[in-house]
Amino acid sequence: MADLVDSMLDLMRRLPPTRVEENVAALVGICPDYADDLLGSVDQPLQLRTDRATGKEYLACDYNRDGESYRSPWSNEYDPPLEDGTTPTPKLRKLEITANEAFDTYREMYFEGGVSSVYLWDLDDGGFAGVVLLKKTMTPTAPSEPAGSWDSIHVFEAVERGRQAHYKLTSTIMLQLVTHKGGPVEHVSEGVSGTKGKDGWKKEGETTLSGSMTRQTEQDWPLQDASSHITNTGKMIEEMEIKMRNLLQEVYFGKTRDIVYDLRSVDDLAKARRQRELQKELVGFIKR
Amino acid sequence: MDATERIQAASKFLLQAPPGEINDVLNDVRNIISDDESLQDGVLPALREYNLAQFTTVDVPGADHQAIVSEAARLPGEDERFFDPRSKTSFVFDHLTLEAADAQPVEIDADAEPFRAALEAATLSYLQAHFHDGVASVFAVTGSSKFFVQIVANKYNPSNYWSGRWRSEYVVNLDENRVDGKVLVNVHYYEQGNVQLSTNHTSSLSLPSAVVTSAPGPSATKILALIEDEEGQYQTSLNDTYHEMGEKTFKGLRRALPMTRQKLDWDKVLGYKLGAELSASKGVFGSS
Repeated sequence: MADLVDSMLDLMRRLPPTRVEENVAALVGICPDYADDLLGSVDQPLQLRTDRATGKEYLACDYNRDGESYRSPWSNEYDPPLEDGTTPTPKLRKLEITANEAFDTYREMYFEGGVSSVYLWDLDDGGFAGVVLLKKTMTPTAPSEPAGSWDSIHVFEAVERGRQAHYKLTSTIMLQLVTHKGGPVEHVSEGVSGTKGKDGWKKEGETTLSGSMTRQTEQDWPLQDASSHITNTGKMIEEMEIKMRNLLQEVYFGKTRDIVYDLRSVDDLAKARRQRELQKELVGFIKR
Repeated sequence: MDATERIQAASKFLLQAPPGEINDVLNDVRNIISDDESLQDGVLPALREYNLAQFTTVDVPGADHQAIVSEAARLPGEDERFFDPRSKTSFVFDHLTLEAADAQPVEIDADAEPFRAALEAATLSYLQAHFHDGVASVFAVTGSSKFFVQIVANKYNPSNYWSGRWRSEYVVNLDENRVDGKVLVNVHYYEQGNVQLSTNHTSSLSLPSAVVTSAPGPSATKILALIEDEEGQYQTSLNDTYHEMGEKTFKGLRRALPMTRQKLDWDKVLGYKLGAELSASKGVFGSS
């Protein structure tokens, strides 16, 4: 019943992004038969895990999950350990290791922190697919400091066509920004008038911007050897993230702000209306 | 999940509905639960809670204005009968169709009415001055010197995939000479994504005794002038919050470009990583 999955996806597009995990869990509880459809098509914040063998952090999502276990890109081991967990073929694993190193450099250059993970898997029709994950979280040192998190999920499919490869890329970026203003903490540090404005009002509040955006692209790139797949997808993902970062900036800081101003005006609308009427009258008077 | 738990989960979804999208969420939930019979009665409490919390507006029977349906608008001692002090009408509200029925004249608190009416007049002119398409209601709490000023402004634009809601509530307490306020803004932008702004802002002010002891007219005008000032400042401070989140958090999470101000040279990223042991001195970035 594709119809049911459509309704679940429509619902997830409407409910608050801050509660996506709780809501997906509830939907899985209502329709356990559709758990795989749902988990495969709704992007959730990436979970941070630590590789037991190397001590390095990696990202967990539906793509490196087998049952209840997650595979680390660094040691190729499942945690909790799995006897017969799915792993890439040796050839693909070699590419996966190189891809993890390359995107780790990419992560450091753009995010200056955070964690990255790349997972590859073979496709039935001969090609392969992969996911490039990036996550950075900013934890405030004080309640007045802004907090935020960025999660990138780039899923691609690669099909080799002679000396060319065709790529299909679907990118989702989840971004959350929270700012807390006023409140008892500032109050203590700055005395009784801490959160009191000059006008005598005592204020406190929180602003949260959260959400996700998804974009797709298909491109052909030349192929020299297997490592070309990394330079090709690297360039595509870099280009896509730059484009989407601009888009997120526009929507988060432009569009949502404009809508607030569509609800309430700082300027006195009645005064502006009166002025316009007066102007009209004057113009009419001059014409006469 | 048994039937009761499913209704509970459905109710939770409904309570999270973004501005103007309760019917969309309800349609999705109907499809997902696919048990209209138990759903219809089961989710009614959630719909009621949503309507009251979201300051749902209603066309008042026999009047040419809209009123807010909220907890403060509930007729004391009645569950489903609400009243509009402006037209002195009470009505039964249907939480599913959002329609009022069975209008009846309502007796009002004569002691509180002069100040309530003055507060209402001042609120309506404030509404005219600063809200596009706003609705306001002012309620007197029987047997106390407490008044509720409630404002809601909605903009729904489904064809452009966005909606917004501004809610304000002020409790004017003439016994304690104080005003306690709350502003909640929700914006949903969902073109190829799901981005939500959610803010909450609380404020409180001690009223100068001169304001409280004045005649109802001047006193109410002064209180609304104070509210106008506070809300204007809040809206302006939202701009600062936006700026801060853009400059600090957004840029801190991911750079627009690496420190080198150019995109990565992927061939060198790969060459560097693979040949790191051979020539550690080779630069990562090219000039191209």
